[in-house]
Amino acid sequence: MTNRLKSTRSITRKVDRVKNLAFIIAMVLLVTTLLLDIFVIEMIFDLLTYLYIALGLLFVRYGIPLLYASRRLIQYYWQRAIKNKLAVGGLVFILLLILLAFIGPLFTVDPTAVNFDEKNLPPLGFTIEESVYKIETKQFITSRITGTSEHPLGTDDKGRDLLAMIVSGTRVSLQVGLFATGIAIILGTLIGVSAAYLGGKTDNILMRFTDIMMTFPFFLLLVFIVFIFGPNLALIVIVIGLTGWTGTARLIRSESLSLRTREFVMASKALGASDRRIILSHLIPNVISLIIVIATLSIPGVILAEAALSFIGLGDPSVASWGMILKAGQQNLDTTWWVAVAPGIMLFLTVLAFNFLGDGLRDAFDPRSNI
Amino acid sequence: MKKTWLRDYIIKRLLYAIFIAWAVLTVTFVMVRVGPTSPADKYLSNLAAQGQDTSQVMAAIEARYGVDRPIYEQYLNYITNLGRGDWGWSLSTSMSVMELIKAHWIYSFQLIFLSSIFAAIIGILIGIYSAVRQYSKTDYIATFFSFIGISIPNFWLGVMLILLFSVNLGLFKTYYDTSLSLLSLANLKQLILPVITLGTGMLAGYTRYTRSAMLENLRKDFVKTARAKGLPERTVIGKHVFRNAVLPLVTIIMFDLGSIVFGGAYLTEIIFGIPGLGQISFNAIFADDYAVVVAVTVISAFLILMINLITDITYTYLDPRIRYD
Repeated sequence: MTNRLKSTRSITRKVDRVKNLAFIIAMVLLVTTLLLDIFVIEMIFDLLTYLYIALGLLFVRYGIPLLYASRRLIQYYWQRAIKNKLAVGGLVFILLLILLAFIGPLFTVDPTAVNFDEKNLPPLGFTIEESVYKIETKQFITSRITGTSEHPLGTDDKGRDLLAMIVSGTRVSLQVGLFATGIAIILGTLIGVSAAYLGGKTDNILMRFTDIMMTFPFFLLLVFIVFIFGPNLALIVIVIGLTGWTGTARLIRSESLSLRTREFVMASKALGASDRRIILSHLIPNVISLIIVIATLSIPGVILAEAALSFIGLGDPSVASWGMILKAGQQNLDTTWWVAVAPGIMLFLTVLAFNFLGDGLRDAFDPRSNI
Repeated sequence: MKKTWLRDYIIKRLLYAIFIAWAVLTVTFVMVRVGPTSPADKYLSNLAAQGQDTSQVMAAIEARYGVDRPIYEQYLNYITNLGRGDWGWSLSTSMSVMELIKAHWIYSFQLIFLSSIFAAIIGILIGIYSAVRQYSKTDYIATFFSFIGISIPNFWLGVMLILLFSVNLGLFKTYYDTSLSLLSLANLKQLILPVITLGTGMLAGYTRYTRSAMLENLRKDFVKTARAKGLPERTVIGKHVFRNAVLPLVTIIMFDLGSIVFGGAYLTEIIFGIPGLGQISFNAIFADDYAVVVAVTVISAFLILMINLITDITYTYLDPRIRYD
């Protein structure tokens, strides 16, 4: 009996060691390519790609095992959550949006293709009157323009297809929302759990630091940093991630404080488990439902922050985000109103979907909580 | 006993606020220094592009910022200048930043003030009503609309309001008229759309907070006691439930003022062309006018800090059960 236990334990340990080794090798490889890329060769991938790969690796190494370990709990909550129709609606919308971001660009025309012959086309089903000044006859000619099925959402003042722009904007918004939240959640969870578990001075220092970070006005700080260092999507994602963890850290800390003194943690400690092991395999799995809820509810804020940043002209000029399209639409509101309407509706629906889903999940996890 | 405890608390909070103010100053200073271009470079290249003589401006900037002096001296200079109320020179508008801010802060203030009042009054009233009539049709409608209000991006709402009421219906002017006196009715009229833009999100938030705070208190035993005593329902709701629910609400409103409203107000100003702090910092961003951007960021951060400080102190004074420690 003891022998078998021992052998399974040594196998798990071996598997763990292999996983750790593979993870470290992958990370080292990634960093080396990044350094090579920056200092030796011209950039092959941009910074964001590296960030995504790193986050993806982290997720495969830690996220998936964590989710797998608490699969029963998640299944149970899932069954409660799907009773909430609005939450399911939100989830379906988000999944469709992700699908759109991945395969949408394959079906739409090039969002950057400028065509002045087809500028200011209204959306399908709308007709506008446009006065054009003809130089030859020296008079205004009023013509009626109807939307075509080639450009179902119309075109902007440079003749770019709005649908294609919206689809490529989906990619930007989701990228920013998911990855900045990813960074913030990882940081917040680690800081919150360590503060609660280690307690004492560490707790004090970490929480005071969180307080200080919280006092910084988040949006102003974002505007300031982007103004100083120049608009770049990678920078925006990183800054939002590095500044947005404070709320998460507080919530996770208060949740883990009560876990710390529970019997299973004591037992694990008595058996000689390391701090790292207790944090990773006892504390975090028990706050995972909270983490999922916080992540879902903080994505809309991040998406809106990026859109607002683009709207005031500090967005990455190399990508057409929803905020950027909205900005362009606002400047030509009296001629091409649809350019301002469409990205706003997408933003609104996306935020609404995440809020519905987050609310539904929270109610399923803990109906009395007030996050 | 209580008095000394409160005094200690206030002193502690004040010291803390001063520390954070210093941190804000240091962070902004370091960032401007670490940033890829120096303030002067960017501005000078703009001037040179316009074909202007840059040598005089260069000399003025060097004298002002002391770019050639050691970094710690620049840092000390920065802090002492700000402390003396000398916030630098705005290169794009050719006036001192302090004057610029003095001339424009009132526009931001009126917008924030009116929006907060509007959102707080209506939000709290709707919240109370839907808590008292929980699960009624009105409650469902209020909950649904507060969800929409929270999710709607306020800058988009502003653009849509302009599109509908100014461009299509022609009810309001598309641009803010600064020649009107601030206290005139015409000025109030042109602030209607901006106030709705900035206020909607807040209003929705307050409705939700009030509703849940009221519901929580409605379940309490003292409400049952009050009803059992035969008090009229109006007194029970108004005195027993609302008074208990309103205190946390005040904190939320004040904290909102600090964190969300500033960003939102600046965006609203940019959309409606209101010449407040947001607008001038927006213009400064495009003109690469560092002094103004730094000043607006730092001043806003200080204001937020002050608001939070005042909130904390009032809150602890009003409800001594809560001792932040």
